Amino acid sequence: METLTGLVLIFISAALINNFVLHYFVGICPFLGVSRRVDTAFGMGCAVTFVISIAALLNWTLTYFVLRPEAPVPAWAWRVAGGDPARELDLSVLSYIVYIFVIAASVQFVEMYVRRFFPALYRSFGVYLPLITTNCAILFASLEIMKQLQDPTRLWGLHQALGLAVGGGLGFTLAIALMAGIREELDLCDVPVPLKGAGIALIVAGIMAMAFMGFTGVERGVETALAALAAR
Amino acid sequence: MGEAPRRAGYLAQAWLVVVLALLYGGGLAAVETLVGGRIAENRRQETYAAIPYLVPGADPGHTGELLLVGDDGRETKVYQAVGPAGEHLGWVVPASGQGFGGAIEVLVGLDAELGTITGLYVLEQRETPGLGDHIRGDAFRSQFRGRPAEVPLSVVKLEAEAEHEIRAITGATISSESVANIVNQALANLRGPLARQAGGGG
Amino acid sequence: MRHEGPTALERFVNGVLPENPVYRQLLGMCPTLAVTGAMKPAMTMAAATAFVLISANLLVSAIRGLLKPHLRILVFTLTIATFVTVADRFLAAYMYEMSKQLGPYVPLIIVNCVIISRCEICASKQGVGVALADALGMSLGFALALASIATVREILGSASWFGLPVLPASWPGWGIMVLPPGAFVTLGLLLGTAEWASKRRATTGIWATVRGLWSWRR
Repeated sequence: METLTGLVLIFISAALINNFVLHYFVGICPFLGVSRRVDTAFGMGCAVTFVISIAALLNWTLTYFVLRPEAPVPAWAWRVAGGDPARELDLSVLSYIVYIFVIAASVQFVEMYVRRFFPALYRSFGVYLPLITTNCAILFASLEIMKQLQDPTRLWGLHQALGLAVGGGLGFTLAIALMAGIREELDLCDVPVPLKGAGIALIVAGIMAMAFMGFTGVERGVETALAALAAR
Repeated sequence: MGEAPRRAGYLAQAWLVVVLALLYGGGLAAVETLVGGRIAENRRQETYAAIPYLVPGADPGHTGELLLVGDDGRETKVYQAVGPAGEHLGWVVPASGQGFGGAIEVLVGLDAELGTITGLYVLEQRETPGLGDHIRGDAFRSQFRGRPAEVPLSVVKLEAEAEHEIRAITGATISSESVANIVNQALANLRGPLARQAGGGG
Repeated sequence: MRHEGPTALERFVNGVLPENPVYRQLLGMCPTLAVTGAMKPAMTMAAATAFVLISANLLVSAIRGLLKPHLRILVFTLTIATFVTVADRFLAAYMYEMSKQLGPYVPLIIVNCVIISRCEICASKQGVGVALADALGMSLGFALALASIATVREILGSASWFGLPVLPASWPGWGIMVLPPGAFVTLGLLLGTAEWASKRRATTGIWATVRGLWSWRR
């Protein structure tokens, strides 16, 4: 039950309270660039969620077994190679390189998959699909997972990493779809010329961020509610 | 163009990537050797530098580290505060929990008899700037000094009268209550194992 | 013999204002919004980005003859990721508090589109001197952009600049400026201002004069 509570909290936190776009400022480029129409925006959101989940899965596995301090695989390799038992082999300095390569590979894989099974969607995405590699949100999710794998007494399991990834991706989708809906309306409004395009989009994003700030404190409420539920 | 020459072409192109990867890997290993020790020291200092504040008279250089299993079944690293002459002065216990805006991580100082809280230090917090983040300030934290460690602390909005009452920060009641809850939970969880450690162990 | 493409001086000047990475190209938004709550983290981030941009541009330019079209993005990414790791490690070693404050945004320099785009547009095609000038110009432009936003947010939000108080104590301090909404709105309004200024005849007139003077000197 405690695992489930924790998982729900991680998910809600990533999706709403600490929304990737509106609180952590990651994924801004597609947020501004692909949010003109709701259907494209929603498609982009789903693609990003898909890639984030795959990347989180692969990166968690690599970090847990190889890249964190006191990881089992380097420890075994060190022992087998006859290294000094007082010291350990810490491969965490290679983390960022590994993460970005895994992300690039994930995007490549998703691109092949979408091209094979959803050719119309592939054509409508155009150049934006490979650009998901430079989407900060995916690397950010991997970095957050890495942060939670540093303390050997409190390691995140795969379920928590995926909870963060899927929650973050869905939060991104929500934010980008909302922005697209608002921008579709803005097209019909009389926006001052200097602010047209990115300027007004950012101001709208600021108001959305203010609205999402209303979710602060929800974590505590959910935790209390779930604890009460578990006690019954 | 046949299949074989194209594949050979890709292989030839890939050698640059491989060479670069090896060079970069070597470079990063050098950087890690150069500054890795300093980073680890910085991380330790984060906690150790606060120990003389948390347990007055303690010498950070002599601090001992222990891994204890709390009553909730999970491991926690606790620090044994030791004076310059080697005498056991108290404990420093990390604690964390949910605050208003996010997770709060604190260090709680205890005396050797586990009867009094000797100090509180906030490591990480994401409370509202200007309101909740006053939990980092001395005015709030100094209230914890001298409080009983065996009775759960409670937070009141007006004057704190009883020994176990802490006065909340104006406009940040939830943040204040969160800190008190985190301290209470950590003490309840680790009091037993700490007492057994002090009594039975070396 | 004339070099292909813009000269070093042109690259440098371009990067500062006319093709400013944030205000004109709309790249590198993530750190621009995230670390500009105060001047100190903003300038640290600008310095880290400058280090990565300059190093990556120099290295890519030096090996540009060996780059094959299919794998060049891979090489760029590998190079940038390495230099970012170096910057992150040195920050954690020598400026630990600042490193913690900047948090995940230093490794996010890897996906900062400014750096990859400069490698692609300039460093992979032109010599080391031009690439260096380009990197310096873009870094300066990025730093100016970050400084402008951080100044507004820190003065209005915390009544300070670089941590020093600049407004009288009676200023209430608009906390919202330090939080996410303030970041978005500040950048949006400043973008609008930059857009407005670039279209004014005074600005275009000044640029035309300056460019005329340069071509006269050459």
